[in-house]
Amino acid sequence: MLELQKEIRSCDVLVVGGGIAGLMAAIAAAEGGAKVIVAEKAHSLRSGDGVGGNDHFICYIPQVHGSLEDFMKEFKASQSGKFSDDCIQRVFAQRSFEIVQDWLKWGIDMKPHGDWTFLGHAFPGRMRIHLKYDGKNQKAVLTREAQKRGVVIENKTPITEFLTDDSGKIVGALGVDVSKETPSLKLFRAKSVVTATGSVNRLYPGIVPGAMFNVPGCPANTGLGMTAAYRAGASIVNIEMAGASAGPKYFARAGKGTWIGVLRTSDGKSVGPFVTQPTKELGDITSDVWPTVFTEKARDGSGPVYMDCSGISQEDYEYMLWAFTCEGDTSLVEAMEQQGIDLRRHMVEFGGYGATQLDRGVQIDEHGATDVPGLFAAGDEVGNFGGHVAGAATMGRIAGESAARYAKAAEENNYPVEQHPVVAERLTFYSSLMERENGSNWKELNLTVQQLMEEYAGINHVRSGTMLSAGYKYLGDLRERALNEVACANSHELMRALESFELLEAGRLICLAALERKETRANHKRSDYPFTNPLLNDMFVMVKQVDGKPTVSWRHSR
Amino acid sequence: MPPVINPKKCVACGKCALICCMDVFGPTEPKTVPLVRYPEECWHCRACVMDCPTGAIEMRYPLTHTLLFRDAPGTLKKEGM
Repeated sequence: MLELQKEIRSCDVLVVGGGIAGLMAAIAAAEGGAKVIVAEKAHSLRSGDGVGGNDHFICYIPQVHGSLEDFMKEFKASQSGKFSDDCIQRVFAQRSFEIVQDWLKWGIDMKPHGDWTFLGHAFPGRMRIHLKYDGKNQKAVLTREAQKRGVVIENKTPITEFLTDDSGKIVGALGVDVSKETPSLKLFRAKSVVTATGSVNRLYPGIVPGAMFNVPGCPANTGLGMTAAYRAGASIVNIEMAGASAGPKYFARAGKGTWIGVLRTSDGKSVGPFVTQPTKELGDITSDVWPTVFTEKARDGSGPVYMDCSGISQEDYEYMLWAFTCEGDTSLVEAMEQQGIDLRRHMVEFGGYGATQLDRGVQIDEHGATDVPGLFAAGDEVGNFGGHVAGAATMGRIAGESAARYAKAAEENNYPVEQHPVVAERLTFYSSLMERENGSNWKELNLTVQQLMEEYAGINHVRSGTMLSAGYKYLGDLRERALNEVACANSHELMRALESFELLEAGRLICLAALERKETRANHKRSDYPFTNPLLNDMFVMVKQVDGKPTVSWRHSR
Repeated sequence: MPPVINPKKCVACGKCALICCMDVFGPTEPKTVPLVRYPEECWHCRACVMDCPTGAIEMRYPLTHTLLFRDAPGTLKKEGM
C-alpha cells in the first residue's frame, strides 16, 4: 500500500495549480489575510501555459478605449469573447488595468514601448484591445510576489480530489507527492479551494498523433481540477463547444497573433480579406476568425496555407523575433534557425492542431465561485469565461479575494480529512496501479482515449447522436478495462496514468454535453441536426453530478 | 531526445529537473548529472536551457516537430525566378 503522509497541511485557502491564475489567486488571498498554500504539479517558476512568457494581455484602459461598451463590443468579437457570461466579462474588463499596473510595479515589462501599446489580434480600422507586453519573467515574478506574502508553495504535488463534508462544502483536498521515485499521498485541510489547473490537453490527437506531447498548450494540463470539481458537485459548462487551435505545422505552438505576415496559398493568394501589407500594428487575423482554414483547405485540395512574412520591413521582422521571445516561443525561433528557415524569404506552413477545450469547464459566477460552497475556480479551466493570460490573472485575483473572504467567514475546519471515505478509496486504487505487474502502460490508455475522442466526439469528423452515444459507451468500457490493467512503475507513471483516467472522464462528460446540443454551431457539427437552432442562441449546456450520476441541463447566458 | 546535457558543463545543481513542467527528468539523485528519462514527453518550452546556470543544456528538436516551409512567392518574383 502507498504511504499516506501523516502530516496534514492546513490552511485557509488551498490554491490548486501554480500557473498565472493560481499564483494571482494566492497573492490576493494572502493579501486578504488568509493562510495560503499553492499545490503545483510541477514547479511554479516554470509551469503551465505561461511557462516562458506571453505577449498579449487583453486590457481595458478608459483613457485609451473610451467607453466600456465600446471595449466590450470588441472583446466579444475577439477569439476569447465567445461562450462567456457577460457579467463576468464586465468584471474582468473593469479590473484588468489594475492587474497590469501591479504587474508593472512587480517587475513584469508591461510597457516595453515606453507607453501602453496595443498591437496584434486586431481587425483593420477597429479598436485594439491586446496590450503588447514582455512576459518572459512572469512566472518568476509572480512566484516571488506570492512567497513575499507568506504563501507556501508545495511543488511536485498534483491534486487529484477535492474533499467535501456531508453538507457538500469544501474541507480539503488529496494530492500525490511525485517528488520521489515512489509516490506518497498528501492531505490538505482547507476552508476553501481555488482550482486553477488550466485547460484539458492531450484529450484529442495532436498534429502529429505519434508525438502526444507536440501540442500548443502545456501537455501537463489535463483537466485534473475540472473533473475533481465535477465529482465535488460543481457544474461543468460549455464543454461540448470545442475550440480549434492552429499554428506552425508540425511544431505546435500557441501565439499566432505574434506573427507579422499574411496567410497565403502556395500561389501567393491570400486566404483572408483583412490585410495585404502586414505591419506590427496589424497582422493577419484570419486564423483567429477562421482557425479551421488550414484543415479545410488541406481537405478540399486548395491548400496548403502558409504564413508569409517575406513582405514585412526589416524593423518589423526584428520586432517579431523579439516578440516571439516575450511570448515564450524561443524554441520555435531556435528550431527555425536550426532548419535554416529565414522568414524574410521563406513562408512556413500553418496547420490546425485539432480540438481544444480552452475556456471550457468549471462554471463560476462573477466572484469566481462555483456551485460548491468553498470551491472557486479561475483561468483556462473555467467554462463560462475566457481571456487567456489576462483572464487568468484578473479572475485569479478575484477568485483569491473571494476565497479569502469565504474562509474568514467560515467556521473552524476540524474535519478529519484522513478519515474521508474518498481518501481510503483513492489510496487503494492508486496502490493497485503501483502494485500490478505486467499491466498496460498509461500511454495505451491516453492514446485510446484520444482515438475514441477523435472518431466519436471530435471536430474533424461530424458528430451525431449515434456516434456520440457509442463513444460514451466505449469510453466507459475502456475505463473498466483500464482500471484492471493499467500498471505504474513509479511516481511519474502514476501521475501520467491518473491524468489519463481524468482525460477519459472529461471525454465522457463531453460526449454527454454534445449529445444534448441537438444543433450545429461553430465546431460542434451534428450530422443529425445540421442547422443552427436560434432558440439555442446564448444557451449553455451544463453537466453536474447528482446522486452519483451525470445530469445535463440548460441555462441562458448571464 | 529533447534536452541534451553536456556533462562537462553540468554542475549537478538539479535545477533543470526541479523546474521542468513535464518532469522529463523524473526525480534526480543529488550531485549527479540529471538523466533525461522521458524525452518524448518534452514540450520544448526551453525552460531548462534558459534557467541552467552554466549553459550546459541544448535542445534537440525531434523529426516529429519538423517545420514545413518553402520559398515565398514574392521573394521568387523579386529574385526574377
